Amino acid sequence: MGLTFDSVNTLPRDTELIIKNARIIDPVQGKDVKEDILIRDGVIQKIGKLKTEGMAESLQQGIGDNKKSSHFAGKELLKPLISENKNFIKLEAEGLIVCPSFLDLHVHLREPGNEDEEDIMSGIQAAIHGGVSGLCCMPNTVPPADNECYLKYICSVAKEQDFNIFPVASMTKKLEGTEITDFGILKENGAIALSDDGCCVQDSRLMYEIMKYAAQFDLLLILHEEDYSFSRFGLMHEGFYSSKLGLDGISSLSEILMVQRDIELAKRTKAKIHFTHISAKESVELIKNAKDDGIAVTCDVTPHHLSFDDSELESYDALFKVNPPLRSSADREALEKGVLEDVIDIIASDHAPHLEEEKNTTIKNAASGVTGLETIFAASFTRLCCKSNFSLNKLIDILSVRPRKILGLNLPSIKPGEKAEITIIEQDRRKLINSDFFSSKSINSAFMNKELQGFISGTINGRKIRINS
Amino acid sequence: MLSVKNLIDIDDLSIRDVEIIMENADTFNEVLERDLKKVPVLRGKTIINMFFEPSTRTRISFEIAAKRLSADIINFTSSTSSMKKGESVVDTIKTIKSMIADLLIIRHSDSGVVNFISRYIDLPIINAGDGKHQHPTQALLDLYTIKKSFGNFRGLSVAITGDILNSRVARSDILLFKKMGMDVSVVSAPMLLPEDISHYGVRIHGCIDDVIKDTDVLYMLRMQFERQDRKYYPSIKEYNRFLELDEKRLNKMKKNSLVMHPGPVNRGIEISESVMNLESSMLEKIKVNEQVRNGVAVRMALIYLILTKE
Repeated sequence: MGLTFDSVNTLPRDTELIIKNARIIDPVQGKDVKEDILIRDGVIQKIGKLKTEGMAESLQQGIGDNKKSSHFAGKELLKPLISENKNFIKLEAEGLIVCPSFLDLHVHLREPGNEDEEDIMSGIQAAIHGGVSGLCCMPNTVPPADNECYLKYICSVAKEQDFNIFPVASMTKKLEGTEITDFGILKENGAIALSDDGCCVQDSRLMYEIMKYAAQFDLLLILHEEDYSFSRFGLMHEGFYSSKLGLDGISSLSEILMVQRDIELAKRTKAKIHFTHISAKESVELIKNAKDDGIAVTCDVTPHHLSFDDSELESYDALFKVNPPLRSSADREALEKGVLEDVIDIIASDHAPHLEEEKNTTIKNAASGVTGLETIFAASFTRLCCKSNFSLNKLIDILSVRPRKILGLNLPSIKPGEKAEITIIEQDRRKLINSDFFSSKSINSAFMNKELQGFISGTINGRKIRINS
Repeated sequence: MLSVKNLIDIDDLSIRDVEIIMENADTFNEVLERDLKKVPVLRGKTIINMFFEPSTRTRISFEIAAKRLSADIINFTSSTSSMKKGESVVDTIKTIKSMIADLLIIRHSDSGVVNFISRYIDLPIINAGDGKHQHPTQALLDLYTIKKSFGNFRGLSVAITGDILNSRVARSDILLFKKMGMDVSVVSAPMLLPEDISHYGVRIHGCIDDVIKDTDVLYMLRMQFERQDRKYYPSIKEYNRFLELDEKRLNKMKKNSLVMHPGPVNRGIEISESVMNLESSMLEKIKVNEQVRNGVAVRMALIYLILTKE
């Protein structure tokens, strides 16, 4: 019968889905209430106390014996009950949190070019597993997304899948940092922003021109900041541990100098800039000052930079090789403080799938990057809400509302008439992350073999529903 | 009996382990004095000497050490590591595993490769130098050389000069010398020093003259031009001015003090041509050849202790 665990199910158009007794946290409406939600044909119909009596008797267990219920945290939460004619599903969500689904501003989908690591379809599966209903995919594919053909392709697949993928186009041709792309045409064909992610324009004059031209089209620039003269040959953060381990270092000056440069350029050009995956404490300080000066700048941090520091490399485990590198414990603390104090606007995963052989090797030979779409909530919640006193409501704001604000999208809200983009969270659930956890094609997670708390029990995205065991 | 089954990082050894290695080195040093320089203690044991990076003295030193212990030693050398030919590290490890040896000795040009391999292989491993990370047997033979001259370590002052940044020898020496209670300083330039070097509890100087009168051991590193991915240091002229040991400086050194160098010496860079050609009593100070000789005894001691651990 019908639904299966741990994969995406598409409901028939006439099916009514009711979520009972959920705590709804909706930052846009400023709501934190316990109510029921009725969804039909992928659209929210009603919120309030809804009657299901009389129907309950005719309901049956919605999921077969393909999974043991012991996988279910010993609870009957979210166990779907489905009516005989399959047009009514009830989800019991007592004790669970329901909120607008997240938007991940920094994702590598690897299609085209590296479909063995990830493709659009597997990326969507991973996103839904992680409670994410919208993502920005970065242009450093093979070939890179520096033209409208790529954008048209991504947009057509996204539409077919009824999933919000917002493609980011490159700001220079082939990401080479020498010639700018067709900003106007790219925007007309669906580019939500521009970025040379993975690369950084070294030529300051060119960057100045990029900012002026992007400002003309009101295009956001997502900036990966790296001065190559400090990072060339580098394998990890330059500091005590790089010295100890004999691994070539990447000084945090590599990032700081570029952040400083681009703040100055943005001040002059009025371009909208967003610093992605910032890693150094001085970057947080510079961005704080720029905001105080009224410059249009925002930034994000990854869950792995919030959770780990360069001491992790002591094991020579290449899973911790990322770019920018995990920095010192003082940097990590400053990043956490930056989120607490709203200097850092949002959390983005920098989901970077890699094959096993690219990560299970020596630090020098290994590829940089870790996956993160599926652990973005659990890792952030564990770090910020469990280990520090961060409020869950604010974390939901950071993951759901603010990224859309930065991108100029409609703000998500759980109210009648809206497309159902709903994430259901079990905040007490703890899990040890292992390779079975992932829906992505790649399993290079920095949280492998770590215990996290706060997991996604289910995601509803229009008529798609996934319930996690 | 050693507390460890591997020697990858010099810091894994306890002070007692180091003392045991030193005592055993004394014993094997006597063997090396004999006419018949061989003992039958490791008959039937197989050692693989895996050198993924060119090396002459370290590879030969391990080979002689193993042969004098009557072990079978197989040399596996590859100037361009097979990993570069497309073989993955994991596959290389599987190949090694199938060779059924008793001990692996590994040298590699990348830091941490030995740590990585040890995660997959149950055999005892000796790190014969990995990238810029560590060279623990060099540190042990250096220590043994100091011991033979001074008898003890506590309170001795050592000045390590030159390219610390690119030196695995320096990293292992600093850790071991500090562990044994010596006072360590480095004489170098900021471009040749790793970040946060002061965390190691070493003093930093810019010129040999700052330490020459007071140091018990002057340890000169080889200027590793081959390991520099760009030019770190302005010129040989500048190096000579601040970091070279010439006759004038040699003459200022304390009585009984030593000059050491892991070799091969760049004549006219770290040590002047004239000092290398000295035939006076000052030559006694220069222990470069004795270090090489002690290397065999120390490696015999280490191999013996690791392979007779059961």
